[in-house]
Amino acid sequence: MVVRIRLARFGNKRQPFYNIVVTQARSARGSKPLEVIGTYNPIPKRPTTLFDDASGTTRPYKDISLDISRAKYWVGVGAQPSDSAWRLLNIAGIVEPKPHVQK
Amino acid sequence: MPPRIQSHRVSNSLLPFLSSSSSTSSSTLSASASCLSRYDFSTTSVSQTRHRETMFNWLNNEGSVFKYHVPGETNYVTRLQKGNDASQSSSPDVGVENKKPFPGNQDFVSESILSEELRMEIYKRVVEQKKSIRVVSVELRVDMRRVGAVIRLVELEKRWKQLGKNLALPYARAIHEMVPTTPLATDGNQPSHESTNDLPIHRLTEPQIFYPVPESRPFTRVDAGRVFSGAPALVHKEAEKSRDHLAAVDDLVRRTRTFERIGKGANEQQVLQPADMRIPHPQLILVEKDRMDHPNEYRERVKRYNERLADQDASEGKRRAVAVARREATLKHVEPETSRFQFRIQDVVVSRTTTGRDGRGPNAPGRRYGVPSQECKKGQVKIPTEVIV
Repeated sequence: MVVRIRLARFGNKRQPFYNIVVTQARSARGSKPLEVIGTYNPIPKRPTTLFDDASGTTRPYKDISLDISRAKYWVGVGAQPSDSAWRLLNIAGIVEPKPHVQK
Repeated sequence: MPPRIQSHRVSNSLLPFLSSSSSTSSSTLSASASCLSRYDFSTTSVSQTRHRETMFNWLNNEGSVFKYHVPGETNYVTRLQKGNDASQSSSPDVGVENKKPFPGNQDFVSESILSEELRMEIYKRVVEQKKSIRVVSVELRVDMRRVGAVIRLVELEKRWKQLGKNLALPYARAIHEMVPTTPLATDGNQPSHESTNDLPIHRLTEPQIFYPVPESRPFTRVDAGRVFSGAPALVHKEAEKSRDHLAAVDDLVRRTRTFERIGKGANEQQVLQPADMRIPHPQLILVEKDRMDHPNEYRERVKRYNERLADQDASEGKRRAVAVARREATLKHVEPETSRFQFRIQDVVVSRTTTGRDGRGPNAPGRRYGVPSQECKKGQVKIPTEVIV
């Protein structure tokens, strides 16, 4: 059976929050995964705090937390990221962008 | 508005048929009864009573003072009553009267609010002149939390103006006329808006502790703080040193002091400090001490005060730089070409030490499995109850 890296939705109505999980492909979204390797908060935040002054950006930002070494390990042993997980892993510099498949 | 002439005529013609206490229902009846009369074209209510006339009499004579209100004051009808009382009895307390916005509730005495000028001055000093909130709070005699709130609200106001939203200015103006305001002094003697140096009640000081101390042993507020936080008593030499509380306050103001912590894991907390150290503006203790020691050296005192504050700013800046560096070390900022967002990737650790043996460790990344969310449970307070400045 295929092991996948994918997102599991948490949070409430209209407040999505995702765990980045490593799990069996055929298991349910809410079931317990093999491992939780990070989180993704898709709701953008405005830079307002003191730390943001130091970083000098004006773009709204989204938080990702990820154990990069574990993610590299799971990709290395053949775990297949879903499309959205692939995008996040690409942003984190772990995988190349997904090649566009002509239909 | 003066009554129209036509309605005068109508009321006059019908006056003999209407009692002075005619209600609206009787007036509609009489209107329908007079449908056949020569006034059937009139849509004006026929009940032109004596009340209406007395109303206009009052509005044109006594009541005319209420037509335009004096800016900065309320415009209540009770003012007439008060005026009569004042003419009978002497010396009404104007200051107290002005603090009662509700004439029906004489027991409510309002606290002052910040005037518009004072509010903008606070914003100017903090945001434009880059003064610290602590300094501005002392200068303008406004609580630090309020200073923080003013800055946030002025920022919000500016953002709303930028977005073209309407501000409730008439409402604000009315409130400022109803309740007393603290003005901004032009001559430097700023009146106190509120007490700025109150000692907050610390959670650790709530229990009553019976702690016997031998008479021969000195026992100060420092020792009391240690008893409250369950810390062991200081050894003799350190205890001697801790009695020089002005030196301790000076260290605190210059931010060169580290605080002892006690407890393990989640229970770890700072040892309770004496009141001198916990008040919002401990630097004022040193100012007062300086004034008592050197009453004639005003410039020297100001110089020393500014020096202390500069030290404080420098230490704060250093501390902030260390905190930012520590944070940035684990954080990666990515701004992809294809996205309008920045992504902040924090490197976390997934291992047995963070997840624990059952996978539910509190330091592991991600939401827990098998731990129900308390979100919808009864009695959960979701509105923030305090703002940390």
